[in-house]
Amino acid sequence: MIQTASFPVTLVFPPQGHFTQPYLALPCLKAWLREHGFADVEVIDASVEAYDRFLTADYLARASARVPSLASFEGAQELRFEDMEAFRAAAESAASAASVIAGVEEAKRVLRGEDFYDPERYVPAVRTLYHGLRLVSAAHFPSQLTPHNFTMRYANDRSAEVLAATVDREENPFLEFYDSELLPRLDARPPRVLGLSVIYGSQLIPALTLGRLVKERFPDCHVTAGGGFLAYIGAKLMRAPGVDACLDSLVFHEGEAPLLGLCRALRDGGDLAEVGSLTWFDGGTPVENAPGHPIPLDRAPVPDFDGLPFDKYFSPETVLPFDINRGCYYGECTFCTLPTVIGPGYRTRRAETIVDHVIRLRDRHGARCFNFITDCMPPGMIADLPDELIRREANVRWWSDARIEPRAYTAEGARALYDSGCRKLLFGFETATPRLLKLMKKGQSVKSTLEVAENCSKAGISVTFYAMVGFPSETREEARATLDFLLAHSDVVREVSLQTFHLDEVAETYRDPAAFGIEVLDDPRADLQLYHDYVAASGMTAAEAAEAFDEMMAGFRANLPLFSGDNVLYFMQKSHYFLHLARDVHPDEFVRRCAERTNAREARGADPSLAPAEGLALVELPFSYADCVRTLGHPLARAVRPDFLTGSFVEGAREEAIASLGALAPARRVLAYANGEFVELRPDGRTALAALAAAGSLGELLAEAGSEAAEGLRAFAARLHRRGALTPRAAVPAAEFETQGVTS
Amino acid sequence: MTEPDKKKDGAKKEAAKDETAKPLAEKIGFAKLDLTVEEVEERISPRETNVFDK
Repeated sequence: MIQTASFPVTLVFPPQGHFTQPYLALPCLKAWLREHGFADVEVIDASVEAYDRFLTADYLARASARVPSLASFEGAQELRFEDMEAFRAAAESAASAASVIAGVEEAKRVLRGEDFYDPERYVPAVRTLYHGLRLVSAAHFPSQLTPHNFTMRYANDRSAEVLAATVDREENPFLEFYDSELLPRLDARPPRVLGLSVIYGSQLIPALTLGRLVKERFPDCHVTAGGGFLAYIGAKLMRAPGVDACLDSLVFHEGEAPLLGLCRALRDGGDLAEVGSLTWFDGGTPVENAPGHPIPLDRAPVPDFDGLPFDKYFSPETVLPFDINRGCYYGECTFCTLPTVIGPGYRTRRAETIVDHVIRLRDRHGARCFNFITDCMPPGMIADLPDELIRREANVRWWSDARIEPRAYTAEGARALYDSGCRKLLFGFETATPRLLKLMKKGQSVKSTLEVAENCSKAGISVTFYAMVGFPSETREEARATLDFLLAHSDVVREVSLQTFHLDEVAETYRDPAAFGIEVLDDPRADLQLYHDYVAASGMTAAEAAEAFDEMMAGFRANLPLFSGDNVLYFMQKSHYFLHLARDVHPDEFVRRCAERTNAREARGADPSLAPAEGLALVELPFSYADCVRTLGHPLARAVRPDFLTGSFVEGAREEAIASLGALAPARRVLAYANGEFVELRPDGRTALAALAAAGSLGELLAEAGSEAAEGLRAFAARLHRRGALTPRAAVPAAEFETQGVTS
Repeated sequence: MTEPDKKKDGAKKEAAKDETAKPLAEKIGFAKLDLTVEEVEERISPRETNVFDK
């Protein structure tokens, strides 16, 4: 084999993606390129590296210094709706910054080590990281970076806005990150090809930002991109004016063959027109090549994860992704967009190959946990894979998505899956309404879905259901019936991943709207539009579906222990919950622990030893933070932010929110922050806290305060105890408390 | 400091001493304090997540 060491290729997973585990595409591409002679391939998870960089004491200290002061709100006659987000950011940063900066390194250590498994350490650590990201966001206001998403003031579905975002140094935090961290590293080994993997809409702006910087800095480097999100909007993106400043080409569908063809053409002076599934610029004009052939999946090499920063993921154990098949053997669901992402057809690896690769990855990386990437494991594989994993003594723990296959997920089949290390399966349940299941062409009944879930649950496998609200023609009553069904079976279904229906251009619901009783609305200014508004002839409107979503989520939070309390990162895919299951904690046991913790917290009372929590910070506010947060939580206010799924803005939402939600009148308040939680007091509350600190403990304060005040003080202390602002411990000396308190 | 100022200062200190000597409850008037606590729901909403997870 010819090795081409002098042709450096760099493959980057741009921010923002999950920070709990690596993404699979780049290791697959690297392995494929190396097997075909390109020896010098580097993979960079810029997403987790950015999170790691942002969540450091020195970065957060700089971020904190950039956040506008609360002083600008002092003396204002009212807090207008349009200023509320800025007020919230300023208030939170003033209260939390010192504590977050002091605690961020310890929080990362907790999440990456054995203390992860102690909820008393885990929950405050997760909250510290969450508030650290809020601080990063406040410094780049109104951009928002969370553990799950990144949005800016710019609409993701308008190319002019997307391109403007790539040069906005005030609000795009990744420009500085690339300049200071990533580009200097590339200087040491200038790539000839930079490949960007854009799976999520949240990666679009950061990816193009990096593409622009690399093209400016390394004029000889060819910048290409691919991935799920670009499969949807790539053709439109390549036609957008100015995008050639950020990209040279774009790969559609599966990346292995096109990327190899591109590298060969660039190395050997070949013709880009010959590279299948590639769209490229010929003198500034986009040229769409014909689709290429998919690779024989079973002969694809073991994904090459070498070089990824395993120590930077926010998990004590790295969960390695591995794709057991590509495409979907069923392929009928009317809302599904998968063929657009991966290309047509369905291919699988043999069970022997899968287990061979898993064992090699296990041994190479010391990995015990795997996420099998599949949209639907075919019935034969549901039997073959566990058998092979057991026969080869793989001794791994794994989770994956799955399709309801009643004949495969029998009681016996589920036990074999458990024995092979399967600890969690996520099924597409969607709805409890048979009429809608038929309209979705799910090819499954509610009864068989429940049977499958029960068999898995009895075997000890945690079951998650994907559910959908707002499918065309669904009524509010039908949505409530789905909620009732899921709550009635909460002993079987541990998690629900609920999403609202979105009409996107590549699904049957869009192609044949009449069949679903909808009329599609176009936004002519959204040149990257993927999702469309619509008018439904019957059932809920999109706004009503959003309300139903909130109602259902409230139901889950109240009734599913995994959702209740403060289990921030337990739910959702790629969650930390799986890592507990991977230690063979039974779902029943984990749920019991969650419920116990939540109940214990709610039962906290006025312990006489209560004193201000370590690091408690108090900030005086000219308006009510609580009222501000409540206003911003209103559906009309949420509609002002870009949709978290689509990245698009609702036309007229800001004006409607301003008109409907009004302004807040001045109100002297005190914002308290400790242990990752905010709580709002009246100025008198601060006085009481100072007295408590001076007294040394609640018991001593009560003795001094007199019986008339006792009941009120006890209730006050109990509530602050539940929210973490007071803790039962040795008292903080009064002098120390005074210096900890922050005033605006 | 002039003599009258010194006197004034001394009187202030006496008053402060008297204030310190008062019981805490009387000084602060705990029973009259507004001890309202407003809890703020501060959790990541599942709505705020990526759902394309393939």
